[in-house]
Amino acid sequence: MTLTQPNRPLQAGGEEPVLRMQDVTKRIGRKTIVDKLSFDVRRGEIVGLLGPNGAGKTTTIRMMTGLIKISAGDVKIGGRSIQDHFKEAIVHVGGIIENPEFYPYMSGYDNLKQAARMTDSVDEARIMEVIALLGLQEALHKKVKAYSLGMRQRLGIAQALLDRPKLLILDEPTNGLDPAGIREMRDYLKKIAHTEGIAILVSSHLLSEIEQMCTRVVVIQNGKLVTEHAIGESGNAGALPELRIRVDKPDAAKRAIEALENVRVTEVRETESDVICQAADADMPELIDALRRAGVAVYRIAETKKSLEDEFLQWTGGNQIA
Amino acid sequence: MRNFTRLIQNEWLKLTKKRSFWVPPVLLIVISVLVTVMLYKFSSNVAEIDSVAAYLAGMVGASGLGQFAAILSVVGTAGIVAQEYAQGTVKFLLIRSRGRGEILLSKYTAAVMYTLMMILIAGAALYVSGGFAFGFGGTGAQWLDVLRESAYGFVYSLVYVTLAFMVGALTRSTGVAIGAGLTGSMFGGIMIFKDFYKYVLFPNADLSVYGTAGPPLPGMSIGFSLIVLAVYMAIFLAAGYTVFRRRDVA
Repeated sequence: MTLTQPNRPLQAGGEEPVLRMQDVTKRIGRKTIVDKLSFDVRRGEIVGLLGPNGAGKTTTIRMMTGLIKISAGDVKIGGRSIQDHFKEAIVHVGGIIENPEFYPYMSGYDNLKQAARMTDSVDEARIMEVIALLGLQEALHKKVKAYSLGMRQRLGIAQALLDRPKLLILDEPTNGLDPAGIREMRDYLKKIAHTEGIAILVSSHLLSEIEQMCTRVVVIQNGKLVTEHAIGESGNAGALPELRIRVDKPDAAKRAIEALENVRVTEVRETESDVICQAADADMPELIDALRRAGVAVYRIAETKKSLEDEFLQWTGGNQIA
Repeated sequence: MRNFTRLIQNEWLKLTKKRSFWVPPVLLIVISVLVTVMLYKFSSNVAEIDSVAAYLAGMVGASGLGQFAAILSVVGTAGIVAQEYAQGTVKFLLIRSRGRGEILLSKYTAAVMYTLMMILIAGAALYVSGGFAFGFGGTGAQWLDVLRESAYGFVYSLVYVTLAFMVGALTRSTGVAIGAGLTGSMFGGIMIFKDFYKYVLFPNADLSVYGTAGPPLPGMSIGFSLIVLAVYMAIFLAAGYTVFRRRDVA
């Protein structure tokens, strides 16, 4: 089954980013809420938009979708300006802004029909396809006011996918979902990004969630870009991976490792009996041989990764997370 | 055009799928029947009414059931813009490939359809109940009067529906919109005998006076009133459109 068989041709070559933010600025009175924010989201990418409370995430998403005016700069979606060619730009966007809001006195199906009537190409077959994808068959003819938050969230995604968007904008997509639902949603978003080349922009409180889902994060604070970062990339590019080696004799291990040329021991943790060192993959066989020659028993070797939360707090100076 | 028709369909469904949708029409039918029964039983001058057509022509306008139709139309449609903000669904609505102008116009069209429906319901309820009371008959001239008075009743309702529509779009509050529409329709009965007052909306809203009581103020005619009403409604719609199109949706 094809999820988003594009009846509009996707960007030829995929060179141009699906979303391009160019010096986007929002001023209210004298206050600058978002200040010259620039970043791109390309086909097939899942990008997390992160920032502490009041960083301007919501304002940014609202400018992207034309809900609020842009004071300076521009947002381009599929190469079209949201300001000058609103209809041509927004047609590529599917989204949930803040909470998924529906007409509570209508059924889920009727709400999807409402959305479908505001598109040019969505037919009954597509509606049923999206319903099946999100597993909404059971609740289809129930009124939305009787939906759980999780069901509403699914209906929100269904509604956003209806017109086969190139760019999916999701504010807190896993809010209100149970762990199984979160995992399902995450796998599903990864899948559509991968197989259909949909670009996805996600803003979320849950840093672990972003970490598991996104290929890249954009961090903003006080309306300004703090950093743009690929997930899994260590803080300083080109640095050697940091390894934690659990051994029976940490001191002997330290001496053996330090005798090697390209490996550096950064720390010895006596209590856990761990030796922390930095080594390239190519040097690992030699390192292991050296430990064996020194008569050191190796119990575990693990790469130590900083969590996104650690990095986030480092980037934003420990502000509370929105 | 298909796009616009489907927007109107959406708006109409949003009005009619609500359970409270039925309250104003049912109320209007009940009032129509009650008024007919009361008149038939207790009024002394019913002898002059020789047919249902004569009865309808007298009752469907703003001085009769048209007043209720106007009030209930305002109640039924005042929330058409404001409710979207209250429910948060305005975001759902505005991130589509449709212009804000089209969306607002489709809402206004649905409000106009609702108003028309209410006048037709009032007419139908009066026809059935009046038919039993005064006989289902009428001359051609009487039926023409019915058509004309119904049209006047519709215009009268539409003036206040449009006022409430604008206030709803400006304030995003259903309550304020209903209040404005109802207060406006009450001003219809108040007459200030100053020249400027003929340019005010309220004395012009009920066109049926030209057939019965004559111009409310010197210098007024049916053409004059139609122009005044057209200008006011154009201003209301332009104000609603300007604000709705430009407003930041936070």
